[in-house]
Amino acid sequence: MSQSLDSSKDTPVIKCESVFKIFGNNALKLLKSSNGQVDAKTFQEAGCIVGVNNASFGVQKGEMMVVMGLSGSGKSTLLRCISKLTDATSGKIFIDGEDLLSMSNKQLIELRRNKMGMVFQSFALLPHKTVIENIAFPLQIKGTSTLDSMEKALEMVELVGLKGRENYFPRELSGGQQQRVGIARSLAVEPDIWFLDEPFSALDPLIRKEMQDEFLRLQGVLNKTIMFVTHDFDEALRLADRIAIMKDGIIEQLDTPDNIVLNPATEYVKKFTEDVPREKILKIESIMDAYDSNNSSSTQVSKDAIIETLAESILNSKEILTVVDKNNEIVGSLNPAKVIKVIFGK
Amino acid sequence: MLINFKNSRLQQFILLFFVFLLLYFLVPEDENSFLWRLPPLLKDIPLLINNLLDNLMFKWLTVPVWDPDWQMYEDKPIFRLITRSIADFLLFLIIFIREIFLGGLQTIGSITGDSLKGFKWVYLPAIPWTAVVVGLFILGYRLQGLGLALIASIGFFYVSIFGQWEPTMETLSLVLVTAPICFVLGLSFGILGYLNKKVETTLQPILNIAQTMPHFSYLVPILVLFGIGDHAGAVATIIFATPPMIRLTILGLKKISPEVVESGLMSGCNRFQLLFRVLIPTARRDILIGVNQVIMQCLAMTTIAAFIGAKGLGFNLKVALNGLKIGKAAEIGICVVVIAVVLDKLSLAWANKQKDYFANLNFYKKNIAFIYFIILSIILGVIAYISAFYFEKGFNYLYLIPFGEGLTIAPILDAGVDWIWETFFYYLNIFNKFLITYVLFVMRDAYLGMPVVSTFVLVMGAGFIIGGVRSCIIVGALILFIALSEYWNRALITAYMATFAVGVSAILGITVGSICARNDISTKFILGICDFFQTFPSFIYLIPVILLFGITDTSVMIAAIAYASVPATRYTVEGLRSVPSSLHDAASMSGVSNFQRWKSIELPLAFPHIMLGINQTLIFALMMIVLGALIGTEDLGQIIMGCLSRPNGAGIGLTLGIFVSFICLAADNLIRTWADERKKLLGID
Amino acid sequence: MLKFITKIAVVLSLFVFSSVSKAADPIRIPVLNWSSQIVMANVMAQVFEEMGHTAELVPAESASRYEAVRIGDLHVAHETWESTMALPFYAAMDKGGLIDAGSHNLITFEEMGVPNWVIDEGLCPGLPNWEALKSPECAANFATADSDGKGRWLEGPYEWHTDVMPNRLKGLGIDDLWTVKFAGSADALWAELKAAKAEGRGTVIFNWSPNFTDAAGFTFIDFPPYFEGCRLENGGTLETTGCGSPKGWLKKAAHIKFPITHPDAYKFYTKMSFTAPQIGLMADLVDSQGMDHAAAATEFIAQNRDLIDLWKN
Ligand SMILES: Nc1ncnc2c1ncn2[C@@H]1O[C@H](COP(=O)(O)OP(=O)(O)OP(=O)(O)O)[C@@H](O)[C@H]1O
Ligand SMILES: [Mg+2]
Repeated sequence: MSQSLDSSKDTPVIKCESVFKIFGNNALKLLKSSNGQVDAKTFQEAGCIVGVNNASFGVQKGEMMVVMGLSGSGKSTLLRCISKLTDATSGKIFIDGEDLLSMSNKQLIELRRNKMGMVFQSFALLPHKTVIENIAFPLQIKGTSTLDSMEKALEMVELVGLKGRENYFPRELSGGQQQRVGIARSLAVEPDIWFLDEPFSALDPLIRKEMQDEFLRLQGVLNKTIMFVTHDFDEALRLADRIAIMKDGIIEQLDTPDNIVLNPATEYVKKFTEDVPREKILKIESIMDAYDSNNSSSTQVSKDAIIETLAESILNSKEILTVVDKNNEIVGSLNPAKVIKVIFGK
Repeated sequence: MLINFKNSRLQQFILLFFVFLLLYFLVPEDENSFLWRLPPLLKDIPLLINNLLDNLMFKWLTVPVWDPDWQMYEDKPIFRLITRSIADFLLFLIIFIREIFLGGLQTIGSITGDSLKGFKWVYLPAIPWTAVVVGLFILGYRLQGLGLALIASIGFFYVSIFGQWEPTMETLSLVLVTAPICFVLGLSFGILGYLNKKVETTLQPILNIAQTMPHFSYLVPILVLFGIGDHAGAVATIIFATPPMIRLTILGLKKISPEVVESGLMSGCNRFQLLFRVLIPTARRDILIGVNQVIMQCLAMTTIAAFIGAKGLGFNLKVALNGLKIGKAAEIGICVVVIAVVLDKLSLAWANKQKDYFANLNFYKKNIAFIYFIILSIILGVIAYISAFYFEKGFNYLYLIPFGEGLTIAPILDAGVDWIWETFFYYLNIFNKFLITYVLFVMRDAYLGMPVVSTFVLVMGAGFIIGGVRSCIIVGALILFIALSEYWNRALITAYMATFAVGVSAILGITVGSICARNDISTKFILGICDFFQTFPSFIYLIPVILLFGITDTSVMIAAIAYASVPATRYTVEGLRSVPSSLHDAASMSGVSNFQRWKSIELPLAFPHIMLGINQTLIFALMMIVLGALIGTEDLGQIIMGCLSRPNGAGIGLTLGIFVSFICLAADNLIRTWADERKKLLGID
Repeated sequence: MLKFITKIAVVLSLFVFSSVSKAADPIRIPVLNWSSQIVMANVMAQVFEEMGHTAELVPAESASRYEAVRIGDLHVAHETWESTMALPFYAAMDKGGLIDAGSHNLITFEEMGVPNWVIDEGLCPGLPNWEALKSPECAANFATADSDGKGRWLEGPYEWHTDVMPNRLKGLGIDDLWTVKFAGSADALWAELKAAKAEGRGTVIFNWSPNFTDAAGFTFIDFPPYFEGCRLENGGTLETTGCGSPKGWLKKAAHIKFPITHPDAYKFYTKMSFTAPQIGLMADLVDSQGMDHAAAATEFIAQNRDLIDLWKN
């Protein structure tokens, strides 16, 4: 996945430039007078709630960006701004280089019909429609013929494993099943940009794992641009190309999982990542040294391997290992002592 | 102690009541004292309203219209021209539908000009009643299944063989026009109210007034503006039946979670798609309740509509009652209920119908029901045509059973009423005397002996305790408006009757409701009964109660209680049924008895909802008390009824109608504020 | 949204102007809720149709129909009782639009009275002379639950004669023995008649003749004779206000344009003048013989063909 990131360094699919979202009556006035220096506390005293505070970033095509943060930190709000479900108070947002905020209503509708899909935190299914009708809904709105949209929807039903339940109403489904309907619905129009707001939070661990795998597989095939909100660090690590950590609307750090864990930018991020078992996320690459031909054994390990998976053999080997990349070319060497430090020392 | 007082409503109320009693006994009865009665400063209001109406209906913005009869121009007010064209439109629709069921060619004739009028032989025959019954069977079957098919067809079969086909179709045609109009209007205003806060806040009081104002107070203005006839009946019905639809639409739309709206937006809905494919369908539960209410209210208006020209069951009912034919009247009343039930069930089934997307049907298969209907209609039509030669006396029973030529169970019903009379009269009479002497008159005198200042202390104090300054001022202002008129004493009598009727209805309704909410079968049963009595024309009660209790306040009270217990019961059942079952289980596990559970768990939880029922009970009771003027009362209702024949009655009628509605609004404010707060506290929606 | 509203408005206005009611322009006749009135309306309708007009029967309410006649929504109001409907009748006439099309050929009498069985049972010896009411024993037989021990007069709705009856009690000096209760409607009067009979309780109620009660037997009380100005509200004094009711008329009202729009029908209408037995027959055909109102009208016309034809020409 990270390869695609490297290969497409051109215009990002999503680009935000100092986006602010502040709830409250005189938000704009306050924002202007504050000169971009927004402090959640002072704003709160003025009766405003800061949702997103000066967010600037870009998401490349095919990249999966995971947004994390405590409850109320503004994750959903950020997604809403980018999908223009709420209007950002100030700042600029570009989708495929086009200015989202200056789009006409028509353009926006076209954009949503063809390019965007969203999975909602609380499912947001239409209660009066059956599973299949819910999934077919965006297609019908687009104007696809009834039969075509139903066929497509049926495909989606199978994809999310709800076959046999297509004529159920949402109220007859469990939370996890409802969420799967939500996922299927957002996929029905085959969007390029996919927003997922805690899509797996309602699922039990087994299904969640399954869905994550399925999700990764899908992403491997579809190569969509994704913004993914979750509370679950494990999940983030499994899925993310980059992780954004938010606090009080501010993106505290936006970086690769490794960097977030190894080099937390702020105290907050550090705290956030403290309990994360590093061996589970770090790849060999992130702790290897430059290749030293004298001192290396012939045992080779892949630079993309997660430390944990190799930990036992590394620790047993006692000698310095050679790290190779995909093409079996030597890229560095690994000192087992470092591995011990990562796992036990903090 | 003082801190405790701040939090204890009970103590506050006790203090309030104490102050009230103190004032009650201290203020002397003195016509010149403002503490006793306020001066009628607003006594010119009826005149003002009357002038306003008069101007609106006869003088404002007149345009000359050529009058071919007089051969000259006549000044007609624009306002009335507009209302008259609305009336014509309504009439066109009503007659159009009526002609389908009863035959005729007037509407088509009027479109094509008068050319058809001259030919007597050009006459469109009606669909034979047999075909309508069969059609309903097919429709019911198609929409839901055999059950609905049977209900619909048997209902109309009853109507036909009891010889009520013609008036029923007349009423039905009115309802088939008004109900959809109410639905569309209600939905549109509901949506506007949902989209725009300002619209909602302006709508609220108008809705309140339209729903609580006694019908008789606006009959004359409607008569002038829209002209007497079915269309006027339709207008009165629309005024009455639309508000609940608006209310429920707003309620339903507001309940939609914002994420559902967002999901619609993300699916790329434009505004219409969002409205019609996301918002309205999502709010459908409440909207469907609205439809149910519209149908009920439309049919509840049949009798009133007959006062201003609506043909059909309502008119026949009035004639039957004038002849004291209670049995006949009851038969007619059942026809009204039949229409209500069938329309309600059909509309519900239609709304709930699921589509099958993958059945690849050809035209024939898709429309098979309709084709069957057409074929059967033709067959039945032919049979009806042939049978015309078979039946003697000129009645063709397979085409239309004429009024009065059908079966009747009236003698049995009448015998039943007589039996009740013979068996119970002696006891009822003793009861009646007791009630009048020791309860009703005592209460009435107590109300009339209430100094105005103590009334205000009580009412505004209650407002303050329940809803703070805001409620206190609103309630005070509403009552002040009445107190400054000449009709305060009459309003007190109305209030006394309302208090009594609501009190008894509430006790009755809550008791019956609590008992019936115990299990599913009795719940279904009692809700069915409630539906029945909500649409069964309340006029019918008037005569039997006079027979039993004479022309006394008791009669009015009994009629009011019979009618007003319906919402009290309904809301109690609904409230109790919505108590989460987990609580039942929890309570059962802790070993409480049934009664304890009812008293300490279910009732408190259901109470806010029940209180809203009491609110409705008050509205129903007041409606019946005003109608009780037909029996003979000395309250506001008597004058409202009398205004129909007064030279300048319209203004007074409207003013007093507003008074009645203000009494409702004041009570509504208190009850609703309290119930909302309670609901929030209990964490129920 | 705006587009939507305008669309609706256009559709609406399209329909609105395809107005239907004016095209046919039938003669609109009000029907109220008692038999003789409905049958008479049907008689008129059938005669008008014989004359080549179309006629429509419109359910109405007895008091408010005059306003409808006045503004031309109804063409006629064919049964107008002096004592109960004179007020709205003259009010409408004063405002303009309603004309007096003459009276029926009968004298109506409207007065307090008792059903015959009350006299037969001797509940108040001396009736129908009003002096009999002076006896406390008599009054006691007419007491009801809410009359506070006094005898009760059941008067019609208050608007019919406002305070005439309470004043009369005062004028006769028997207001310590009797009290007036206003019934809310004619229906209530009939219900009271039936209830009192079933109960065997005496009742003094307001009634009129001709009426269906004539058949069952009803006796009006003889009060001191009426003369112009005897009542308090017409300048009388407490001494004279005990006077009885005047003999009254039964008028026909018409809309002011009726003579122009339907001249021949109007001519018939002015000539049409029923007698008490005829009106009695109309009620009887329905109430006793169980006929449908329209059928009763046909039957009535058949029985009185000559008279009708006479009025038609
Ligand atoms: N419509 C709104 N009006 C006012 N404040 C809002 C609104 N929506 C969100 N907020 C506030 O903005 C802040 C961020 O909310 P947001 O829903 O984005 O949080 P979140 O990170 O998604 O939390 P969670 O993990 O619980 O979903 C919160 O403090 C919230 O109260
Ligand atoms: Mg969120």
